[in-house]
Amino acid sequence: MSDKKTFKYTADREIYSAAKVRALEALLIEKGIISDKTVDKVLSFFETEMGPFNGAKIVARAWIDADFKKRLLKDATAAIAELKLPAGMAGAEGEHIKVAENTPKVHNVIICTLCSCYPWPTLGLPPYWFKDPTFRARMAREPRAVLKEFGVNIPADVEIKLWDSSAQIRWMVLPERPAGTEGMSEKQLAALLTPEAMMGVAKVAA
Amino acid sequence: MQTKFEHFAATSMMGAQDSPPRENGTLCFDRDWEGRVFGLAIALSKQGHYDWEDFRQGLMGSIAEWEACHALDDSGWDYYQRWLQALERLVAGHDIIDEKELESRTETLLESLQACAVKAENSGS
Repeated sequence: MSDKKTFKYTADREIYSAAKVRALEALLIEKGIISDKTVDKVLSFFETEMGPFNGAKIVARAWIDADFKKRLLKDATAAIAELKLPAGMAGAEGEHIKVAENTPKVHNVIICTLCSCYPWPTLGLPPYWFKDPTFRARMAREPRAVLKEFGVNIPADVEIKLWDSSAQIRWMVLPERPAGTEGMSEKQLAALLTPEAMMGVAKVAA
Repeated sequence: MQTKFEHFAATSMMGAQDSPPRENGTLCFDRDWEGRVFGLAIALSKQGHYDWEDFRQGLMGSIAEWEACHALDDSGWDYYQRWLQALERLVAGHDIIDEKELESRTETLLESLQACAVKAENSGS
């Protein structure tokens, strides 16, 4: 490749990256390392089996079943296994999930200061901003201010705890059950949950 | 789907306030190749070509390298570029695909793209 060509190609990083990914997938298929369906299978698994709907089921169960909640807080991986959620992607960001419970005195937030670790099986893939360098740095430094920008005002007497998922552990938040939901079914409760609430950047609205 | 989040991210970085993001963020890739490179990294790990932890370490390294020589709000930030770089290094390091072979295939694809663009331009004028 001549210098002129190199410059032209790297100048349009976008086209270059797209071509490189295509080339990589094509070579892997030609060499029989993956099939032409492999990537589609992975993506469809994420769309249908791994997502915030799993986290919502876990939280709703914890809200209606105090014993389950105890087990969840003690050993989330084992408690989640009781719910028979899909486990096909164990090993990729989902092996050691831990749950932090919000209380009137403690508000939990999950972050990943070094990259973008996130509990895929229970929350799906992280939103764009979770991976952003500025967001990651600011949330670590001034969580109260960042939460305020998200529309979540945490009173001064409530402690904010940050759970950094940089090690082998993926954190998720067990939000507080909102008032006025006493008569709701487990399914109705699950429908109230958003990924943001289970990340600690939103409250659950009844 | 993600517009609100991106809007939030952009405005919060400028110091402006925005209405709280409340959308259900699920699987969403802005560009087609993001999804492909995401799926490739997982597929190769699931097949045992490397441990997922190796990929994670590579991704962290690639992100740290970028952050070390850019301002955090540099508009050139691109998460999936970091992801691709981490994957490329692992694929070459584990002798899954030869680095030169990948380069040469990429170049071939780019040349055929360029040829198409030139052809389209000529037929349009």
